[in-house]
Amino acid sequence: MKIVGVTACTIGIAHTYLAQQKLEDAAKAAGDDIKIETQGTIGIENALTAEDIKQADVVILAIDIKIADEERFKGKKVVKVSTETAIKSPNKLIAKLHEISGK
Amino acid sequence: MKQFMKKANFKGHLLTAISYMIPIVCGAGFIIAIGMAFGGKAQDSLVMGKFDFFQALATLGGKALGLLPVIIATGIAFSIAGKPGIAPGFVTGLAAVAISAGFIGGIIGGYIGGWLAFAVLRYVKVPSWAKGLMPTLIVPFLASLLSGLIMVYIVGTPVAWFTTWLTNLLTSMNGTSNLIFGGVLGALSIVDFGGPINKTAFAFALTLQAQGINGPVTALQLTNTATPIGFGFAYLVAKLLRKRIYTHEEVETLKSAVPMGVVNIVEGSIPIVMNDLVRGIVAAGLGGMCEGAILMSLSDGKGATVPFGGFLMLPTMGAKWWVGLLAIAANILVTGIVYALIKKNIPEGADEPVAAGAEDEEDLNLDDIQVM
Repeated sequence: MKIVGVTACTIGIAHTYLAQQKLEDAAKAAGDDIKIETQGTIGIENALTAEDIKQADVVILAIDIKIADEERFKGKKVVKVSTETAIKSPNKLIAKLHEISGK
Repeated sequence: MKQFMKKANFKGHLLTAISYMIPIVCGAGFIIAIGMAFGGKAQDSLVMGKFDFFQALATLGGKALGLLPVIIATGIAFSIAGKPGIAPGFVTGLAAVAISAGFIGGIIGGYIGGWLAFAVLRYVKVPSWAKGLMPTLIVPFLASLLSGLIMVYIVGTPVAWFTTWLTNLLTSMNGTSNLIFGGVLGALSIVDFGGPINKTAFAFALTLQAQGINGPVTALQLTNTATPIGFGFAYLVAKLLRKRIYTHEEVETLKSAVPMGVVNIVEGSIPIVMNDLVRGIVAAGLGGMCEGAILMSLSDGKGATVPFGGFLMLPTMGAKWWVGLLAIAANILVTGIVYALIKKNIPEGADEPVAAGAEDEEDLNLDDIQVM
């Protein structure tokens, strides 16, 4: 399965990147392709391309705040959680994504 | 009701606004701190030739911090309505400043402006020739006018009363209540390490500072400063006790977390706390409580004039700077010693990174998941 996502927390220096790391590790452990864009205080890093989004089976948004360009994911299966959930239970979250996308 | 609260997402909008506000508080806070440390005073206006460099710094920082109600209102309105929320957010924020409703007024104004812009966008229907007028004229005019008037004539007065009442209550507090208040605030400011509780306490303390009460925000920020250093100190205490409490990775984390703490950024210690949440919070919370109680009681509730800066805040406390230093020292000692004592020894060879399996994770909080 191919997963794309965005992480963003309030301060944008810690939880954003922790959530990215945890999701990437968990997805790799489950054998999925994953790309996570971070929207921290420093700005957007590891930006998702239109091609990434097009190919994705599911979109995971681990965000505490409003993010830039959420419209990009229109028409996709989007799952929204807080960064805390992604950090505390990444593996279960990825399993849930499999369940939701049916793959 | 629960459904409504979730839809309305009060907390999410406030957090978005705070995420825009933090860099401004930090930037302006440092500028004003340097200015005031060298004797500059914020001026109403800067007339060429009539001010010195440090007055310029103090004024720049002071003006930016004075804009906080506007920034919080604009951020909230933007979070709710997107770009169309910005204009009414500015107007309601400035209205909050004009009627002395301060930071609380700015928060309320942001919600009003944002939801009005949202409502206008959704419910005001225009013929197709007027579509271009919608974003340029109709939304900003209607939303700004209505929300501005609501602020000035309806919301403003009670909020200004409340702010005055709170200000008077806190300025008239004596030793014991300062001690308790400081303890509670210090503990609250650290229990979630820069998370929502910390930010709520921060927003509250910042509101008070906007009213000229500096103690609470100082108590809060010095805890943020001392906690990462406290975890570093725990390493030394543990060495003395012949305990091994940190993995190799955690020691590496500490190397950046401690210097970050010195300049008031608590988040560096999150990865360490995450590995042992309960003990980490107990140690940090107890430390924060001691710090807050010492600061608020010994300085009679007076604190630094800047809301950010870690050790750089101390010079702006004037004659009471030693209280700040004492409070930080107490926090470091308490957090460090408590953590070193209650933390269990890590198993032999645990400096190897281990990926946690799905079994020992917390259960997924299904309330938190939204599928679209």
